[in-house]
Amino acid sequence: MSTKAVIPTSASSDSPASYEETYVHTIYESIAHHFSSTRYKPWPVVAAFLASIPAGHIGLDAGCGNGKYLMAPQEREGVYWTIGLDRSVRLLDIAKLAGGRSRECVLADVLDNPWRNGAFDFAISIATIHHLSTRERRKNSIQNLLNCLSPSHGRGLIYVWSVRQDELSKRSIPSPVEKTNSEHRGQDVLVPWVMTNSFASQKLEKMQSRETEDSPAIFNRYYHLFEEGELRDLVIAAAQELDTDEGSPASEEGSSRCIQIRPKKYIEIIRDGWERSNCYVEFRLYQK
Amino acid sequence: MVRLITHNLLSCHVKGCTRNNFPLRFQDVKVELREAEFNAEFLRNFVPRIEWKALVDAGKELGDTSLPEELPEMLGDEFLKKLHHVLLEIHVEEGAMVCPNCGHVYKIMSGIPNMLLTESEI
Ligand SMILES: [Zn+2]
Repeated sequence: MSTKAVIPTSASSDSPASYEETYVHTIYESIAHHFSSTRYKPWPVVAAFLASIPAGHIGLDAGCGNGKYLMAPQEREGVYWTIGLDRSVRLLDIAKLAGGRSRECVLADVLDNPWRNGAFDFAISIATIHHLSTRERRKNSIQNLLNCLSPSHGRGLIYVWSVRQDELSKRSIPSPVEKTNSEHRGQDVLVPWVMTNSFASQKLEKMQSRETEDSPAIFNRYYHLFEEGELRDLVIAAAQELDTDEGSPASEEGSSRCIQIRPKKYIEIIRDGWERSNCYVEFRLYQK
Repeated sequence: MVRLITHNLLSCHVKGCTRNNFPLRFQDVKVELREAEFNAEFLRNFVPRIEWKALVDAGKELGDTSLPEELPEMLGDEFLKKLHHVLLEIHVEEGAMVCPNCGHVYKIMSGIPNMLLTESEI
């Protein structure tokens, strides 16, 4: 069996918070340095999104990890700012100096919303919300993004692992066990992180792994793998609960004649796609 | 790091604490000044996004009184230099931020504010 094989699982919904503590947060604290050493290339879709951010804008990276998206290409450093949020102190210790510059980071959960409403021009959440173990929690984390974005022009990009894996990734995803209803889309799995010995030297890392004398340390991280269309539907469901309907500013001229006391909030899905084993959705908020 | 650019965005998120929960007040802070690259284009465009009074007051709490009480109409270089310093060069390394409404204390350690709440506070 390849070390990249994943293990089907079903997350415990009795106590999702403590489940994630064991199968996500504790592991990232343990593998922080090794994980960070493997995470330096930006995904093309994310790089293109950040390249389009205008001067003076401010954004949030919810689940910033080692801070690779807090950096900008040399000529755009300081033209816009991205604030990093993560649950791992050890990853934030790396992120706060990402690229050799002082970055802005806060220790928080993506289920927290410690921001002024509407404060950000853009928000990204890359390879993060697939670590939340129930649909409700994944939806809540998207609602936090929507709430902290400007309702008039806020833009967002969410990126998660897909059930459809790139051939290069060599990960084999078991086919879903059974489909009961729309609440149970996608696939819950544990994905082994194999720590090479040079990184497994820290005490905490040794204690929390099942390391023996000869074998490398293996940590099983929880993921919810998204199926096609699932992320888009979740973003729209999250928005609708916040009285934000799906729309497109171009296609709605003159559709509403009644006088509105408050402007109505909308979300436009800009792109919904798949890139190298990941699903992503890019969206924009607007008001009318 | 907690610089005032971040402080100006943070508000208390304890369950039920939804009013008068911004800005958080600094307490027992250890501050470091570090030079940052000046970018007039960023600052000019960023100004409308700032909660001005909160920034001026937070600057004072950290010992900087250089910003005017009212945001000037003309954003000249001299003003932008002061704004740059207050927003991006004052680093709060240790201390805490306290909610003006519920009194919750958010600790700052090694430049990172801990905004996590315990389960009963969420
Ligand atoms: Zn409060």
